[in-house]
Amino acid sequence: MPTAQKIIRGLSVAFLIAGHMACLDGLAQVRVTKSLNEASFLDISGFRSGSDNASMNFRRVLESDLTRSGWFNLSGGGRAEFSVIGGGNLQGGRLVVRCDAYNVMTREKLLSKTYQDEANEARTLAHRVADDIVYALTGQPGMASAKVLMTGNRTGNKELYLCDADGGSLRQLTRDKAISLAPHWDPAGRRIVYTSYYRTQFPDVFIIDLSGGDRRCVADFPGLNSSAAFSPDGRELALILSKDGNPDLFVMDVNGGRLTKLTETTRAAESSPAWAPDGQQIVFVSDRSGTPQLYIISRSGGEPRRLAVGGSQNVDPDWGGNGYIVYSSLSGGQFRVFVVNPATGETRQISREDANYEDPAWAPDGRHVFCVRRQNYQSRIFVIDTLSSSCISLLKESERGDWFSPDCSGKYKSKK
Amino acid sequence: MIKNRWFVIVSLVLVCALCATGCKNRKAGGRHAGDNIGGSTELGDQGLASRPEGDLQILTAVKYDAVLFDYDSSQIRESERSKLQAVADYLKNNVGVGVIIEGNCDERGSADYNLALGERRAEAARAYLIGLGMDGANIQTKSYGEEKPVDPGHDEAAWRLNRRDEFVFFKR
Repeated sequence: MPTAQKIIRGLSVAFLIAGHMACLDGLAQVRVTKSLNEASFLDISGFRSGSDNASMNFRRVLESDLTRSGWFNLSGGGRAEFSVIGGGNLQGGRLVVRCDAYNVMTREKLLSKTYQDEANEARTLAHRVADDIVYALTGQPGMASAKVLMTGNRTGNKELYLCDADGGSLRQLTRDKAISLAPHWDPAGRRIVYTSYYRTQFPDVFIIDLSGGDRRCVADFPGLNSSAAFSPDGRELALILSKDGNPDLFVMDVNGGRLTKLTETTRAAESSPAWAPDGQQIVFVSDRSGTPQLYIISRSGGEPRRLAVGGSQNVDPDWGGNGYIVYSSLSGGQFRVFVVNPATGETRQISREDANYEDPAWAPDGRHVFCVRRQNYQSRIFVIDTLSSSCISLLKESERGDWFSPDCSGKYKSKK
Repeated sequence: MIKNRWFVIVSLVLVCALCATGCKNRKAGGRHAGDNIGGSTELGDQGLASRPEGDLQILTAVKYDAVLFDYDSSQIRESERSKLQAVADYLKNNVGVGVIIEGNCDERGSADYNLALGERRAEAARAYLIGLGMDGANIQTKSYGEEKPVDPGHDEAAWRLNRRDEFVFFKR
């Protein structure tokens, strides 16, 4: 794969996420030829699409995905850095797409691929092509094919919902008329683990298998069963159980069986575990110091280490494949979203000051973060670009209700 | 005032959970089969009682005042102790009745953390009731976190009412 362009791009992602942090692993020495958050001009005028609905829908979604990726400017003037040629057309009822991507300056072909799918899968196909283009041109995974889980209360109960990373194809997953909380993807994007009161009226942990549609309970111990998160290999869950008389952090085999208790705090509460991409450590929240703060513990237990970051409360961490932890931090009565390098403790604020931003989750591109934006006691999901600082609503404004707890599939795909 | 007492140092508790069977039919007085492997842990009264099985008859007519909490705290305030004494007196006089203590939080802060904080609030009341001589086997804890405010307001007047334990009585 590596062209010089891709190497620079790949390195610059890690560098850019570090933002204005000081030298990180020598990456600061990489010479980036353009300003850090400037998108490349991508010329797609040579990409022809049919005038039927499927082809036009494909084209519309592809352009939107490429723009949302943050890497490209499709309408820039001057000489394009990259170009995509080919086209999408209906052939015998199927949507057939040809896509060739070039580095304009070197004339190197970076992608050459033919796709086809049912005409009514135009959106899905566009997401796939967009992610391939992003990967070919930047060396980083895209997020267009990712799915975002969340909870919403528009029916009067918090139920699980699912949508594409661009906010499209929103659908309701549960109809339990009970409280559903904290949904998380498994690494493959096939299973969902979450907390629900629907079966026993107590908070229990369930796994939904999206391929078969079945749901099974994995934890209904006495007291609290909550906050479960899949390990990067998909075989274990980190979760909070209070069966011993107090909420503590546990690791459990997904298929039942072994249960390991990682914390033993009889006077404190633990919550919100998230696994490191290598599966060896877990970041979680504990109020053992008196206020909820972030701690990192080995997956086999031992003494946790506090992540010393500012703010009176630091909560809801998510650990991305890029190695960085995103979390929300309270200070002066306002929640802001920060990224921290757990190795150095260096932090950078990525959310704006115009509202409360909470409960962040990494996208698979290691560049975007989904989070809750709370203003005037209304909660909506927003997408923050950690490089350009753009911040846009995930769902259309017309979608009723409040939205919480976003989690994006494939977060461990992004690279260091 | 009863405090959590852990006489046993539990470094890693290995429990054979019964989840292979889909979490059904958990039995045995607050412990799951497989606890106490190798005698490494003894939960005693500290482990929670197993959930009551079968349909519960909720005694909706029995109402006791909610116990209120300070912000981000699960300490039973002195002013709230008489409420717990009243609950204890009712349980003492009604053999066969159990109580579900429902811990709640105000809307501020992390919903996931509030779920754990609500559980601590319920467990604080449970520990207090056990200290008054109640049988822990009749006491269930349930956290609603910030999901069930009693006052929908967004100010301290509402928040102070929402930081609470509620008591739901049941007959098996």
